[in-house]
Amino acid sequence: MSVDITSIDPYIRQFAVARSLLPGAGFAWLDAKRDAAIKRFGSNGFPTAKVEAWKFTNLNPLTQTTFHNVVVPSQPALTKAALAPYRLTPDCHLVVFVNGQFRPDLSALDHVPDGTRVVGLGDADEDDLHALIAPPSVAADSRARSLLDLNTAFMNDGAVVHLGRGAVLDPVQLLFVAIPDSAPLAFQPRNLIRAEAGSSATVLETYVSLGVGAYWTNVVTQIAIAPNAILRHYKLQAEGGSAFHVAATSVRLERQAAYRMFAVSLGAELGRNEFDIDLAATDATARLAGVTLACDAQHLDTTIRIDHSKPRGTSSQEFRSVVAGHAHAVFQGRIRVAPDAQKTDARQSSRNLLLSAAAAADTKPELEILADDVKCSHGATVGDLDRDALFYLQARGVDEADARSILIDAFLNELIEGIGGQAARAYFRRACDSWLAKGSRP
Amino acid sequence: MLNIEDLHVEVDGKEILHGLDLRVPPGEVHAMMGPNGSGKSTLAYTLAGREGYAVTRGRVLFQGQDLTAMKPEERAQEGVFLAFQYPVEIPGVSNANFLKSAVNAVRRHRGQPELDAIEFLKLARQRLKLLNMDEASLSRPVNVGFSGGEKKRNEIFQMWMLDPRLAILDETDSGLDIDALKIVAEGVNALRGPGRATLLITHYQRLLDYVVPDKVHVLAAGRIIKSGDKELALELEAKGYADLVKAAAT
Repeated sequence: MSVDITSIDPYIRQFAVARSLLPGAGFAWLDAKRDAAIKRFGSNGFPTAKVEAWKFTNLNPLTQTTFHNVVVPSQPALTKAALAPYRLTPDCHLVVFVNGQFRPDLSALDHVPDGTRVVGLGDADEDDLHALIAPPSVAADSRARSLLDLNTAFMNDGAVVHLGRGAVLDPVQLLFVAIPDSAPLAFQPRNLIRAEAGSSATVLETYVSLGVGAYWTNVVTQIAIAPNAILRHYKLQAEGGSAFHVAATSVRLERQAAYRMFAVSLGAELGRNEFDIDLAATDATARLAGVTLACDAQHLDTTIRIDHSKPRGTSSQEFRSVVAGHAHAVFQGRIRVAPDAQKTDARQSSRNLLLSAAAAADTKPELEILADDVKCSHGATVGDLDRDALFYLQARGVDEADARSILIDAFLNELIEGIGGQAARAYFRRACDSWLAKGSRP
Repeated sequence: MLNIEDLHVEVDGKEILHGLDLRVPPGEVHAMMGPNGSGKSTLAYTLAGREGYAVTRGRVLFQGQDLTAMKPEERAQEGVFLAFQYPVEIPGVSNANFLKSAVNAVRRHRGQPELDAIEFLKLARQRLKLLNMDEASLSRPVNVGFSGGEKKRNEIFQMWMLDPRLAILDETDSGLDIDALKIVAEGVNALRGPGRATLLITHYQRLLDYVVPDKVHVLAAGRIIKSGDKELALELEAKGYADLVKAAAT
């Protein structure tokens, strides 16, 4: 296998310098994990189109720049007021990261309820670190996980959210703010969400940029949901226009655990939002939905792997994209049903709206069903706005541009209406509305 | 009000209307009847400005202006209303939002102040009541899950809200039971008056018992082959179109 050394070497050199300064350095087991990870990254390199899971997403624009991993980045002055527009609600629990580093001064964690712990990676205990470093339980080609390895090597901050038995945390927001530097920076956050039995939490991840310039967020989030616990997980990816955003979220669900996820991706020049979901015990539920809004030359990819490992699991994937300019949206959804995962109910739907002739969408369902008593369905559409509906609106006096935005809005609203929490629903509607207000950009 | 001269229309490269002449003066209701495939719906869509209906010859004047030069929304704003034969379902868009956007687009064009949400609701409720329609339909997505009759009544409701100068009803009577038909007819009659005109496109005479037309035209093979008063409709009902079409062909 040939690997492009020039794109990899700088990271290997950066690691040699950073190694002894990273959190947890000195724990021999953790050092060994980091060493092994950078070694795998060195031999696998950046994923290329030859790796099936990266078939539609070409990382060349990312590999052409060397991003700098800075262990202790300089901390620009920033006020809480500057972050107000990005908050879910003015009074929600808040964990702020600026250029990858936890900022207690900007966070709001004074009233975290009993039985819950929300801290930065610097305050993680050894148990947390073990959980953070655990490989995803959903299997994949190791070459497909090269950037996860890079994160393992460099991870130097992130949020640890721990809910004790029966605890309730509603909601907490993890706000990642990038302030681009003249030299392109890489941020490698690693988050951990552990929900013990019977607990319930709402966690929103938000990625935004204050300022213009190239940077790379390469984030890994590890989630473990114990029996009868529920996690509502929201994510807004609104990175800067010259940014790269690669996220790998791995979720493991125990008996009767529930995971609800809603994501809106509209930022970054190139973005990839990857989810590995393991319904590892009986009667678990995972519902993932999301909206991709892409314009100009953006490339936004959503890749999901769901493993039904045990009986009576329910999963759904409902994703929609609106693609304008010469942007490109990708949806890949894999459902795997293990031989003894009988009575599985798995659904998948991908609908893509192309607003211009140069816009493109690729959607790939992948079903591997090894049990016989299961319900599985998938559907995908790629197309223009409904011309009959457009004419109907115009025939009632609505201008073509307004008619188009009414229909795009409706296409998105059908999913946004499904968000359980009122605050999150309003938050995402605002994000979509402001994207639409910039013009539906045919 | 509406003045059509020698109108030729092509759809997918095939000529459907072959030189149609029609004058509908203000204050009048005209019925356009004819067998299936005669070009009735083509006429309706052409007047509303649907994509793919190409005027290759002739002209259409509406209140003295060239209608064919206008976009569909401009025609609607100027006061042309088409009640669709098959009203379109639009998931995700509520009837209220849809209609408020439409009403205010038309009001803006006419230099009238826009209605706010409360004013709009007040007006809408009043009109719904007159049409014996459920107020809950306002919050439902446009035409989604509506029965055939509900869809047609919804068209009449929209017509009332938009207050057009020229209403074109494309087989609004088809598929309606007698009660719904009466409601639709009342809706049309309520908009009769000076300064307004109506073109009723229909296959059957039934609606004309309730909306008495000033003139009746028979469209066959893309041309008007006969015009007369309301008696013509009764004659067609009794004898059918066949003789008339044959006579026109010879």
